[in-house]
Amino acid sequence: MTRPLVAIRGVSQRFGVDGATVTALDTIDLEIPDGQFVAVVGPSGCGKSTLLSLVAGLRLPSSGTVLCDGEPITGPMPRKVGMIFQEANLLPWLSAVDNVAFPLKLRHVAKQERLAAARRMLELTGLAGFESRLPHELSGGMKQRVSIARGLVQNPAVLLMDEPFASLDEQTRMVLGDELLRIWSETKKTVLFVTHSLNEAVYLADRVVVLSARPGRVVDDVAVDLPRPRSFAMTGTERFGVLKDRIWQHIKSAERS
Amino acid sequence: MTWLQRHLRVSQAMFYLAILATWEILPRVGVIPRLFVPPLSEALGALVTNYREYLGSLPTTFGEILVAYVIVCGGGILVGQLVGSSAVARRMLLPVLRSAVAVPLVVLYPVMMVWFGLGSQSKIAFASIYAFIPTMLTAVAGVAALNPALGETARAFGATRAQQILYVALPASLPSMVASLRLGGALVIVGVIVAQMLGAADGLGFLITRYRTLLNSPGVYAGIVLVLMITGLHEIVLRRLERKVAAYRQGD
Repeated sequence: MTRPLVAIRGVSQRFGVDGATVTALDTIDLEIPDGQFVAVVGPSGCGKSTLLSLVAGLRLPSSGTVLCDGEPITGPMPRKVGMIFQEANLLPWLSAVDNVAFPLKLRHVAKQERLAAARRMLELTGLAGFESRLPHELSGGMKQRVSIARGLVQNPAVLLMDEPFASLDEQTRMVLGDELLRIWSETKKTVLFVTHSLNEAVYLADRVVVLSARPGRVVDDVAVDLPRPRSFAMTGTERFGVLKDRIWQHIKSAERS
Repeated sequence: MTWLQRHLRVSQAMFYLAILATWEILPRVGVIPRLFVPPLSEALGALVTNYREYLGSLPTTFGEILVAYVIVCGGGILVGQLVGSSAVARRMLLPVLRSAVAVPLVVLYPVMMVWFGLGSQSKIAFASIYAFIPTMLTAVAGVAALNPALGETARAFGATRAQQILYVALPASLPSMVASLRLGGALVIVGVIVAQMLGAADGLGFLITRYRTLLNSPGVYAGIVLVLMITGLHEIVLRRLERKVAAYRQGD
């Protein structure tokens, strides 16, 4: 029996805003098996990103527990969980390879070793030859590739992605989506992917978790039964449309209320 | 170097030359009375003739500038970093400090002469107070403009508080620190020279005032040329520094 790699058990998150308490997440239960690609969608402000930051250990839940590999998360666990943000958030004074090696530097890994690891990751994300470029010399898509390489460099079991392609143009987004699927199939990571885009969610994921508007609750858990490897042609199939429509119905009713 | 860049340099040089030529010619042809503005050559002549006196005023002047520079830039940047990194301190102090910039601090100089005497201390005190707040405000603005996402990212990758400061906050504030140095330094030079002009027994500002009382215009302008050279040198050095830290700028 395989236990889930990430287990979210009865997690609620409340914030105090001007004296009032706002419930962002309400008793979320979610189990993610090893190697699964899970997309999280929901109306704006449903706490998708909050959920991700709980798994990243950037904040602690008001109640409930988040487990990674059976261990409760009490703070960032960079060796188990790699994070990729909406903006690449690269350090502007470091070259691509140094940015990717940065998490290793924080752990005092020897220079040769961490640069070698960073170069391998840049190769994996399709940036061989761009190692010494500074962030401002890279396009938006390339910066996000560097950010993905940085998320992967410690070989974490879990990759958290918070709307990673949201600030990219449509074409770059599609190319990077395919790239992500290739990297995922090569590295067998467990991915938790927050997105606004239903197309992206259905196209990329094995499973789409739909959250309701505030307070965020799991209202649907959709298994995406499209075959792998995914191809652009599938986005035009009837099955793709049916899945997307099922998710859209939840979002639509939530955005109205 | 492309033709355009070379052309740009040539036209820049021509612009400066034109200003210098105007300075030389207008007084000579009598458009401007020589008492108001003597020809450039006469000012330079006065500088050469009395070079001992001018050189002699420099150690005092540079000494005062240096001490005030350390106080203003060290203190101003440090306090600016502290105030800038606390939202409460920013909200509490910034409105007051911004209004304080409008106060003509030069009115305090006579008081400072009473407190600190005619010597260097009163110049240093005045220049420090004069330049402190603007320098600090520049530093505050620099810290406030830092992208908090970079620190958050470092935290997600396991950076300790010390690592966040060492690897993220400090390098990211380098450009604003140099900007503070550039402004603070320029203001310190102004502060010291003004203070020397208002009441001193030594220094470049004192020489300028003395020659003015003697109606010796070339002597006054020789001093002005020296002041321009000091500020120009400061500007050149800090521009270089600014270019060096340009990579640390965040607008990528």
